[in-house]
Amino acid sequence: MASTVSNPPTSTEIACQSCGAILLIDATVRSTTCPYCASPSIIRRPPTPNRPSPSFLVGFTINHERATQLVRTWLSKSHLFARSDFKSAVPELTHGIYLPAYLYGAVAHADYSASIGENYTETETYTTTDSQGKSVRRTRTVTKTEWRPLSGRYVCYVVDVLVTASGGVSNEALEAIEPFDLRSLRAYSDSFIAGWLAEEPSRTQAECFRFAHDETVALVERRLKGFMPGDSHRNLQFQTNLNNEVINLVLLPVWSYAVRYAEDRPPVQILVNGQTGRVGGKVPVSTTKVAFAVLAVIGVLLLLALLMSLAS
Amino acid sequence: MMDNTQPIDVIEVPHCERCESPLEAGDLRCAICGAAAPQSVSTKQTKIAVNVLRCTGCGAAITYDPNRQAPSCSFCGEVMQVETIVDPMEQTEFYLPMTVSIEEARAALKGWLDTRGWFRPSDLSAASQLTEIKPLWWVAWIFDADALVSWTADSNAGSGRSSWAPHAGQTELRFDNMLVSGSRGLTDKEAYAITPGMQLGSGKTYVEGGGDQPTLERFDVPRSQARQQVLAAIEATAADRIQQHHIPGTRFRKVRVSLVLRRLITQRYSLPAYVLAYRYRNELYRVVICGQNASYIVGSSPFSYAKLFALIGGTLLLGLFLLIVMAAAS
Repeated sequence: MASTVSNPPTSTEIACQSCGAILLIDATVRSTTCPYCASPSIIRRPPTPNRPSPSFLVGFTINHERATQLVRTWLSKSHLFARSDFKSAVPELTHGIYLPAYLYGAVAHADYSASIGENYTETETYTTTDSQGKSVRRTRTVTKTEWRPLSGRYVCYVVDVLVTASGGVSNEALEAIEPFDLRSLRAYSDSFIAGWLAEEPSRTQAECFRFAHDETVALVERRLKGFMPGDSHRNLQFQTNLNNEVINLVLLPVWSYAVRYAEDRPPVQILVNGQTGRVGGKVPVSTTKVAFAVLAVIGVLLLLALLMSLAS
Repeated sequence: MMDNTQPIDVIEVPHCERCESPLEAGDLRCAICGAAAPQSVSTKQTKIAVNVLRCTGCGAAITYDPNRQAPSCSFCGEVMQVETIVDPMEQTEFYLPMTVSIEEARAALKGWLDTRGWFRPSDLSAASQLTEIKPLWWVAWIFDADALVSWTADSNAGSGRSSWAPHAGQTELRFDNMLVSGSRGLTDKEAYAITPGMQLGSGKTYVEGGGDQPTLERFDVPRSQARQQVLAAIEATAADRIQQHHIPGTRFRKVRVSLVLRRLITQRYSLPAYVLAYRYRNELYRVVICGQNASYIVGSSPFSYAKLFALIGGTLLLGLFLLIVMAAAS
C-alpha cells in the first residue's frame, strides 16, 4: 500500500480571485477551476521536503478528442482474452491532469562478477549408420564453450528515471504509458497548468527514492548484461552503489479515463500519455474465454491422441 | 591532438554542480549527467498564495491549450508567449587565421605530387594542371574532458582452448584538444589528416586571410545533435585508447566502454584549409592542404599501371632468364 505524505492538511480554503467565491479544495490539488465563474486558479503552497516545488513540466500536446479516440482504438484492439463488454465499453473522461513524478539521476558504481563463455570449435569422430545400414565412422565440427571467471567495476551515469509521486497512479501504471520525450521538458511555469488539474505529490520522497532505486538497479543490470564480453555469460552477480543522486519534481501530462464495462465490476483506470498518446491500463480477462480456450486445447489433444492410437 | 601553445580565454559560464561541465544558455539540465541546471532562487514562500493568469488583451483568465502548446485566452484567442525550448544551430566561436598563402599552397601541391612514390606517372608533376584552388574554413568541435572509463573486452592474451579470453578494467582518461569534425565538405579522413597542423591558440573571433571571398562552412546541426556527435566521438576515442594502452594482448574484439565524463568543455571552431583540384589526363583529383601548415596535405593521385605491368613483366623475364641459366648449367 502506498505510504502518503505525513500529516497533510486535508483541504485548503481559498478565495477565487475573479468572483470572490470561497472554495474548499483538496490539499493534493495544485490548480482548480472556480465552479461559479470558471476562472482557473493556481495554488502555491510553501514547499516542504515531501512536496517540493516543481522544477520541470512536459506540456500537453494531445487534446481531449484525440485522447478519447486513442482510448477507443486501444479498447477495441485489446487482446484475445479481454472481456467483450470491455472491448465495446464507452470510455468516460475523468480528467486531464498534470501528474507529479520525480525525475531521478545518479552515478551508478557496480562491482560485478560473472562466468564468461568463449566459444571454440573441435573436430570429433562419431559412429553412425549409412544409407546401406552399415556402421561408419565420420567426423564433424562442434562448437564448445570455455568458461572463465571475470570480475570488475562498472560505472555509468543513470539519467531520466521517472517514478510516480502520485498516490492515485502506481509506478507500474506510469511505466505503461512511458516514455515521455524529455527533450521537450520545460522549466515549470504556472501558465502551463492554467485551466488544468495539477496534482501535488502525495507519496513521500523516501518512497519515490525506493521506486527510483529499484528501476535504476534493473537498468544497471540490463546495461551490465550488454557490457559483458565473450560469446555468452552466466552467473552475473553485482552490487550497485548509487551516489551523486539528483531528484527533481516534474509534472507530466496524463489523460485519465474510467472505463465501466459491467454493473457489478469497478471501473478500470486507463491512462493516456498527454504528450505521445500512448495508452496503458489493466485489461480485465474473460474467464469464459479462457475456459473455452483451455477446453479447446484439451479437445484437440484428445483428438490427436485418438487419431494416433487408431493409426498405430 | 593539436599544438595548443596559447589557450584562449574562456568566458566564465555556469557549470553543472555534479560533473562540472559548462552549461549553455537555455540548458534546463546538464547534457552530460542529466542534473538540473541551477535556477535563480526566488524569495522563500511561507504562505499559500492563489494566482489567476489573465489575458493581457481582454483581461479574461487564460488556460493552456494543447493544440497551440501554449497558454491562450479562450475569449479573444490571444496566445501568451512562453519560454521556448532552446536548441539553436551551432555557431562558430573561433576562427583560426589562414597563414598559408595561395602561392605556398600551389608549391606544396607541386612538392606533394613529386613525392607520390615510384608508381606515380613519371610526368605527373609536369602534366598535371591545377584547375581550382579554393580557400575555405571547415567546422569542428574541439573538446577537453576527464573520464572514468570502465571497459571489458576479449583478447588473445591468456587464451586457452578458445582464441579469446575475457578482460576487464577501469581507468581514468584525459582528453585534451580532441577534434570532432562537423564538416560536410571534407571527409573525416581529410579533416583528421590536416588537423595536426592547426595552432588552436591562434583562434580569433573573425576571419583572417583567405582572400576576398573565402568559403565559410557552417555547422548544420542543432546543439542537441552536436552533443550526441561529440559524445559518440568521445566514446569511440576512449575505446580506441583503451585498446591501444590498457587491454593486454595483440588481437581484440568486443571492446566495450562505459564513461562517466567530467568537465567536458566543447568549443566550436572554423579551421582553414585549401581545397585544390588538378587534372591529369582528363581525370580530376582532389587535394586538401592545412591552412596553417602546408606540410599537412592529403589527397588522391593517379597510379601508373604501365610501371606496375613493367615491373611484373621484368620480374617474370628475370625469373625466366634464371631458369634458362640454371637449365643450361645442369
